[in-house]
Amino acid sequence: MIDTSKKEQKRSLIINGALKLFATKGFYATTIPQIAKFIGMSSGNLYNYFSSKELLAQEILKYISAHLAKEIRKINDSSLSSQEKIKAIVKIYFNTAQSQPEMIDFFLRVYLSNREVFRKGCEGMICVNEFVTEIMIFFDEAVAKGELKNQDFFSAFGLFMGYLGGMVFLNGEEVLNKRLDEYIDDISTNIYNALKSD
Amino acid sequence: MKLLWLQKITCNGNAHSFLNYPNLTEWMEDFEWVYHPLLPSTYSLKEIQSDIKECDILMIEGAIDREDSLFLELFYRYANEAKYILTLGTCATFGGIFAQAKDSIKGLHFDKENRLDEFGKFWQKSISLPGCPLQPQVLAGVLNAIKEGISIPLDKMHRPKYYYAYTVHNGCTRNEYFEYKIDEHRFGELEGCMFYEHGCQGTYTHNSCNKILWNSVNSKTRAGQPCMGCSEPNFPDDDLWRTKKNMGIPAKLPTGVPKRAYLSLAGVAKAFKIDRFYHPLMEDESE
Amino acid sequence: MSRIRVDLIEKIEGVAEVKYHIKDNRVDFAQIAFFDSRYIENILTGRVPLDALAITPRVCGICGHAHLIATVRALESATGCRVSKKAQTIREITLSLELLQNHFKWFYLSIYPLILNGANRVDGALEPSRVISEAIALIAGQYPHNSYAIVGGISTDITPIDIFELKDRLKYITKLFNKYIIDTDISEFSRCDKLEMMLSKSGDLPLIMQKILNNGWQSLGQSYDRFIVFGDSGIFKKGKSVSTRYQEHLDMRYIEEFKTPNSEAISIKYRGKFYETGPLARAMIMKRSLVKEAHRRYKDSLYTRILARVCEMPLLIQYIYDLIDTIDYSQPSWIDYKEFKQSCSGVGAVEAARGSLIHKIDIKEGKIIEYKIITPTQWNLGNSNKSNPSTAQKALIGNRADAPLELIFKSFDVCSVCTVK
Repeated sequence: MIDTSKKEQKRSLIINGALKLFATKGFYATTIPQIAKFIGMSSGNLYNYFSSKELLAQEILKYISAHLAKEIRKINDSSLSSQEKIKAIVKIYFNTAQSQPEMIDFFLRVYLSNREVFRKGCEGMICVNEFVTEIMIFFDEAVAKGELKNQDFFSAFGLFMGYLGGMVFLNGEEVLNKRLDEYIDDISTNIYNALKSD
Repeated sequence: MKLLWLQKITCNGNAHSFLNYPNLTEWMEDFEWVYHPLLPSTYSLKEIQSDIKECDILMIEGAIDREDSLFLELFYRYANEAKYILTLGTCATFGGIFAQAKDSIKGLHFDKENRLDEFGKFWQKSISLPGCPLQPQVLAGVLNAIKEGISIPLDKMHRPKYYYAYTVHNGCTRNEYFEYKIDEHRFGELEGCMFYEHGCQGTYTHNSCNKILWNSVNSKTRAGQPCMGCSEPNFPDDDLWRTKKNMGIPAKLPTGVPKRAYLSLAGVAKAFKIDRFYHPLMEDESE
Repeated sequence: MSRIRVDLIEKIEGVAEVKYHIKDNRVDFAQIAFFDSRYIENILTGRVPLDALAITPRVCGICGHAHLIATVRALESATGCRVSKKAQTIREITLSLELLQNHFKWFYLSIYPLILNGANRVDGALEPSRVISEAIALIAGQYPHNSYAIVGGISTDITPIDIFELKDRLKYITKLFNKYIIDTDISEFSRCDKLEMMLSKSGDLPLIMQKILNNGWQSLGQSYDRFIVFGDSGIFKKGKSVSTRYQEHLDMRYIEEFKTPNSEAISIKYRGKFYETGPLARAMIMKRSLVKEAHRRYKDSLYTRILARVCEMPLLIQYIYDLIDTIDYSQPSWIDYKEFKQSCSGVGAVEAARGSLIHKIDIKEGKIIEYKIITPTQWNLGNSNKSNPSTAQKALIGNRADAPLELIFKSFDVCSVCTVK
């Protein structure tokens, strides 16, 4: 009998290791043997867990999506106002970018840059479904309460996430004058002002 | 079994709909119309109004204006007498269209979804049969069950579960387009689901329209019309041909389905663009 | 000696009350009252225009389909949206089916028992009604109360297999017409111009028409001999006929509505005069031979009125057969109008079973600001004063107190619910 919790631990170890390498070196420059070496296991054993590098990248994407979704869900379940929720979401995103930069970097530098890797297996937004679902719930409730303006989902989603992604990118390029978390207030206000109901 | 059919503020639609019951002549052999607004009856309306006649089941069609003391007096007389009271259609049950004209016009026990106490002493013997109009099979079936002494499971609004535990969505021929979240729908076509754009309320409307087909042949949604929720307490809503959405997310979801569950499933379904659903059903198949 | 007698008229899609002023045993005056206003026009005000398609059919449980068609025509005239020939044809089919059904119901539920001393032949109404409802539902989804006629066409596509099923039902309806109403070929009956020939056949039509003659009622219920038809499509022609003189031109601006005392109904006049609308009006304007013959003998009496209504049935059946053959399945069922004009107004007129039905809509900034419905019963059964009585009042006045007044009243086919719409 296989010890499932032990198997889970191993899986998680591989995902975290691969995430760091993919995020820093990029998808193509990273090889399975490098990942195996990085976490101290054999390539053969690693293949027992993930049959291909593409599949591993897709699993990482789902892992990041689930991680962010879990955090945003806490915000959705809270009694904060929509304006306060926006700030809380921005905070989570930027904090993650600072404390676990590989998560956001993977998203920006692997997922968005190497679409061919994800085409089969991550159709549409299926691998980021959990994250998108929580954002949808946030928008839906905010509009239902009359706090945000009703509009097309993607025009609001693009404004919100594109803005955050852009800031993390600039931060990564080291062109920002301030620390990322010092922008939380201004950026939250800008997003709220852009989305709030008339 | 003696049936008394009284009308108030109505279009007569339930009475006419009932005439379409496939074996009405045979069905009527076991019942007596003390009074029916269209069919031959034992008494005239004038006789019903002037004297108390025996009746087992009192049926009310139409919304009731609480300022109409003459009707209320007539209602009390027979409601006390009857073993069962049936509210036929959405007007009699919840108020319906005509309740939107005046505050004093309401359903018998409900003002939209709010239970009223006014006729509370009759609540236990009342059965709600909403629908605009009511399907003839529903009324014939409920009366058959009463006649045979079979107990009818009721929901909390006293709607018989045999008919109202279902949603209009159950059995719709356009279901696949809902399940795989094909949000393109154009009128005048055999394909497509009206839930995403055109206001279809079938997934959260309690009724059997696609289980017991209308006139034994069809249903509105099969024929490309959005379900307008005509058996629901809030019928008719505003802006009936357009789906209400918050940032593109349907404001009302299938009965009992949590938002998170719906959005997760919809997200997955949407991810796979399944070719078949984007082609007309009658199109030649490519090699 | 004068007295007042109040009759409650039942089974007319609701009830009405007629107050007879009887003087020297004759009807000196008759006041007609309808109750239970439903304020549909107010309910529509402030809504988005398309909501009318769902709400107006619910004005009436028996002629709701005519209301739907009137609404869609009003909306299309307001917005200028195009409709394919195919969609128009299919709408004509379902509307004609409703007329046919209403005629069966009226004949057996309202008229038959009154002429035959309370005898009933309910199957003559039930069987055809159910089959006709099925035929409508094949296309429109359900009956009563569908909204399948939408701005730009119809809600779904129609395939030949739907129409085959419809056609088989139409054949059955034709058989029922022969079984119940009159046992003669429908095209032969449509051409018939001799009352004696009609009376010599078997069926309930000859039966009741003969009974009217035997009772000596054939000249009762005459009115102004003034007729009006607003709907202009299919087998009907628009225009008016005054003492058999036909005039095509009509202008809706001459329609006046006025509130009448002691009734919740609103009466209608055209250029200050009352007109009769309905099957007799349509037959007079189209100069249908058998009806013309009856009119020559008995004027606009209950006899001619009843006959005119039944004579429409074979015409409608044939018309539906003809329409079926013209359907071009390659045409679109619905034409996308992209966007709706935000401010506009329009009128839709349709011939319903009981006569001309008119819907008027005014739209401003995407909302209905005024909706007006004028129903056939408002034309025929207005309530006016003694010096200028309405069409039905005039038909009642002057009769003996023991005359078949209820039959005269019901010969117009009253739709109470439409009157207090």
